[in-house]
Amino acid sequence: MHGPAALQLTTDGRLRHLLTTEGLPKSLIIELLDTAETFLSSQGQPVKKVPLLRGKTVVNLFFENSTRTRTTFDIAAHRLSADVVTLDIRTSSASKGETLFDTLKNLEAMQADLFVVRHSAGGAPFFIADRVTPNIAVINAGDGTHAHPTQALLDLMTIRKNKGDPAQLSVAIIGDLKHSRVARSLIHGLRGMGCPDIRAIGPGTLLPGDLEHLAVRTFHRIDDGLKDVDVVVLLRLQKERMTAALLPSEREFFNLYGMTESRLQLTKDNAIVMHPGPINRGVEIANEVADGQQAVILDQVTNGIAIRMAVMAMTLSTQQDEQS
Amino acid sequence: MSVIIRNMTIVSPGSPMHGKTDIGISRGVFVDPQTLSGGKEIDGHSSWLVPGLIDCRVNLREPGLEHKGTIASETRAAVAGGVTTVVATPVTDPVVDSPADVRLVLERATASGYCRVLPTAMLTQGGEGSQLSEMAALMDAGCVALAQGNRPFRTKKIKFNALKYAQSLGIRVILDPESRDFAGGCAHTGRIGMGLGLSLNSPLSETLGLGADLDLVEATGVAAHFSRITSKNSVERIRRAKAEGLNITCDVTLPHLIHSESAIANLDPNFHLERPLRTEEDRLALISGIADGTVDLIVSDHAPHETGAKLAPFPETEQGMSIAEGIIQLLIQLDTKNELPFEISLTAMTTRAARFINQDKLGVIDYGNNADCVLINPNQTTEFNESNWLSAGRNSPLIGALLPSQIFGTWISGKHITGR
Repeated sequence: MHGPAALQLTTDGRLRHLLTTEGLPKSLIIELLDTAETFLSSQGQPVKKVPLLRGKTVVNLFFENSTRTRTTFDIAAHRLSADVVTLDIRTSSASKGETLFDTLKNLEAMQADLFVVRHSAGGAPFFIADRVTPNIAVINAGDGTHAHPTQALLDLMTIRKNKGDPAQLSVAIIGDLKHSRVARSLIHGLRGMGCPDIRAIGPGTLLPGDLEHLAVRTFHRIDDGLKDVDVVVLLRLQKERMTAALLPSEREFFNLYGMTESRLQLTKDNAIVMHPGPINRGVEIANEVADGQQAVILDQVTNGIAIRMAVMAMTLSTQQDEQS
Repeated sequence: MSVIIRNMTIVSPGSPMHGKTDIGISRGVFVDPQTLSGGKEIDGHSSWLVPGLIDCRVNLREPGLEHKGTIASETRAAVAGGVTTVVATPVTDPVVDSPADVRLVLERATASGYCRVLPTAMLTQGGEGSQLSEMAALMDAGCVALAQGNRPFRTKKIKFNALKYAQSLGIRVILDPESRDFAGGCAHTGRIGMGLGLSLNSPLSETLGLGADLDLVEATGVAAHFSRITSKNSVERIRRAKAEGLNITCDVTLPHLIHSESAIANLDPNFHLERPLRTEEDRLALISGIADGTVDLIVSDHAPHETGAKLAPFPETEQGMSIAEGIIQLLIQLDTKNELPFEISLTAMTTRAARFINQDKLGVIDYGNNADCVLINPNQTTEFNESNWLSAGRNSPLIGALLPSQIFGTWISGKHITGR
């Protein structure tokens, strides 16, 4: 291992940062999922408040727009009783000409304990953890088209709760895998959990070139790819893909790859349908599937808070032990 | 003053002196030691005496980018890497596009007193790719070729005109083949760059540009040099074009001979280059190209930067590597790894380079030639560290490295020059 995969673990294999699901050992993934489940009450809702992170300061560093992800990190930190500061970097220091390096050094001097980072450049959270503030735990909340590890973990949690051990399942991921950090992180997570059958479905312009190396089977025809899968993961289609001439239209995408009732028949009975949100009805997913029994999209949102609580608790516990 | 260097072996491919064990230097040129009476005797301690290297692509950063490096600091670093002549790129701030700029570079080089500097200037005014620069005046001022660096031409028609005009004046042009449509991206479109979610650069950006450039070269008849070839396909195209009789040469950069895409796995910004590192297969094809002569030159593309330029997430860092002071040591390392014999890599930075810049007194140790040479012991080592680093740019994977060989002395036109 090298790069982000190596840096996020201590020498004895504990989680110091969460930068990627690539190379994350199965035991750690299971520990994260188990911890997240303890944060869910008997009704399946995240427990309202625990004092685990009292006195800790979590700084949300969002260099790229995001309301949903940022809100779930906010809620997760609050429920752990941490102090939360959210910095909208685009309107603060960056516009005054301060470099990322100097901004972060300032925050370090203010005794922050954990950074939640979203950035448009692949590798930005790694740069921060590696070169800027090695003593502050860093959680990657999405970097470029590289990784979105908390999303992958909440997806794994949702899969495990609904369908059991991923090592026994077939999972199909549909749509724009090429530009998707969600897909990339989920593939690494599924591989880490021993999932034997991962499929990618989409047109040639939206599938990356390294899937074979990741032992992912590719399908350009959705009917072939959906056969007997247990889990269907849809990805959000960005409007930019049409202007970049990667696709002719949303309508054609829906006709070829949209998740409809009839296509859902091709999967195993009781297969689940997932989507990281926000969904485009009539583009990636038909109304009747989005609102149907097999969609677990809102479950994913709920699990997302528990996962983010677990990641914060585990990384800060490692940090505390290392500093004491 | 005259000197005689004894007790060494001359390594100068293609020279009648190759293999001899002594040589004299007098009045700036190599002479038969038997014709010298008196003079200083230098014991070569069984080292090699090699011709001073000629590095045909170096970013000296002056004028205007002195915060990255100066002609003095970077030519000193080059001397420490066994280089005695550098060809300076014109991509400075402002770019070199007037005779006054050319003279400024030459004057600063002379004042610095390290290695010989041969300037190049832009083919178009301001490097903007619209209006032709005063090519004849630039050559009269001392340029060895004209280039456009990484700046595009506004249209292919303007590029055609620039090449045609240069051809009519007998000027060699240096082109960086690139298709604008496919330009950009900080990593090769391979497994490593994809896995790290970096913006990607396809080898098509190079081959599409190269294909169009070859057509323009054929149509205009200009003597063209393609700089910074990175892919196997490009090597093959150039091999075919040369076989068809086109008047072309090309180079590869030293980092591309040593590293492949896996070097960026740790997101080390020192490996963020203007042309991305490609696959191991590409790297091996570049080495074979040097060996069979398809690729004429090895250049360093030395690009020093201030620390802040590399202190950001990988895609947002500035491109380039500071490498000048380790050049000859890296060539010897390629030999010790059995990847490229030193005598061949030496040719690519001496005799072939001298031919490229039309300097028939450089690149070969022979009586009557400019006494540019380096005394180097291949069995010793050189350690590069923070405290002995010479380039103003610390953006280098060499810092902390131990490389084979050590330089004991460098002479440029017979004058003893110390880099390190």
